[in-house]
Amino acid sequence: MSEERGRSRSRGKDDRQQGQRRTFFRRRRVCKFCVEKIDYISYRDMKLLAPFIPERGKIQPRRISGVCASHQRKLQLAIKRARQMALIPYVTE
Amino acid sequence: MSTARQYELMYIVSPEATEQELADLHGQVESIVGRFEGKIDKSEAWGKRRLAYPIKRHREGHYVLEFLTGPGEMVKELDRRLKVIDQVIRHLVVRVDEDVRVADRRRAEREAWAAKRREARGLPPESPDAFRDTEHENHNADDVEGE
Repeated sequence: MSEERGRSRSRGKDDRQQGQRRTFFRRRRVCKFCVEKIDYISYRDMKLLAPFIPERGKIQPRRISGVCASHQRKLQLAIKRARQMALIPYVTE
Repeated sequence: MSTARQYELMYIVSPEATEQELADLHGQVESIVGRFEGKIDKSEAWGKRRLAYPIKRHREGHYVLEFLTGPGEMVKELDRRLKVIDQVIRHLVVRVDEDVRVADRRRAEREAWAAKRREARGLPPESPDAFRDTEHENHNADDVEGE
């Protein structure tokens, strides 16, 4: 079962690779904050933080969001402060 | 004299508080800040907001934000006082000057670098927005896809 799925997935990938090798689709691994040149992440800026807080209320890992290490640290601090001030939940059931 | 620093104070007041009580609290903060020869640079009232989770059985609260300049002792005193006041259900003081300074320096560095790059390439002083494509090799992609 799992083998089957793995194969079909890899086939699909091959198809795409054939078409355009360079623009092979993968998550864009660019740090949003670096691109937009945001140096200071404030805990008050809910619009900025919202994309990094999935439904469950957890902090999105770097490997998924693509945020660079230094910005992830700042983001983490901002999210934790926002949680303290009840701007975003700690957990969502 | 101790050095003045910049802080952001945010506090949440219980939703039952009246305008008058909010003003009183602001006055209290002001007097503490004044006592330490600091000053309130700006004050923002966010109004009544829903809390993300209940605090002391309250589901909403009045958010107040103050931008302060003053010594560290002032923050200590503010912290102590706000903790005692029952109406204030949550408060947070964040020091911002350091971070803002770092951010400013970053921006200045980046701008200087960009200007230098433009010059080196013989381009007119316009933002080139040369974004390099940092796509990884394909064998890396396999790991990511397989999770």
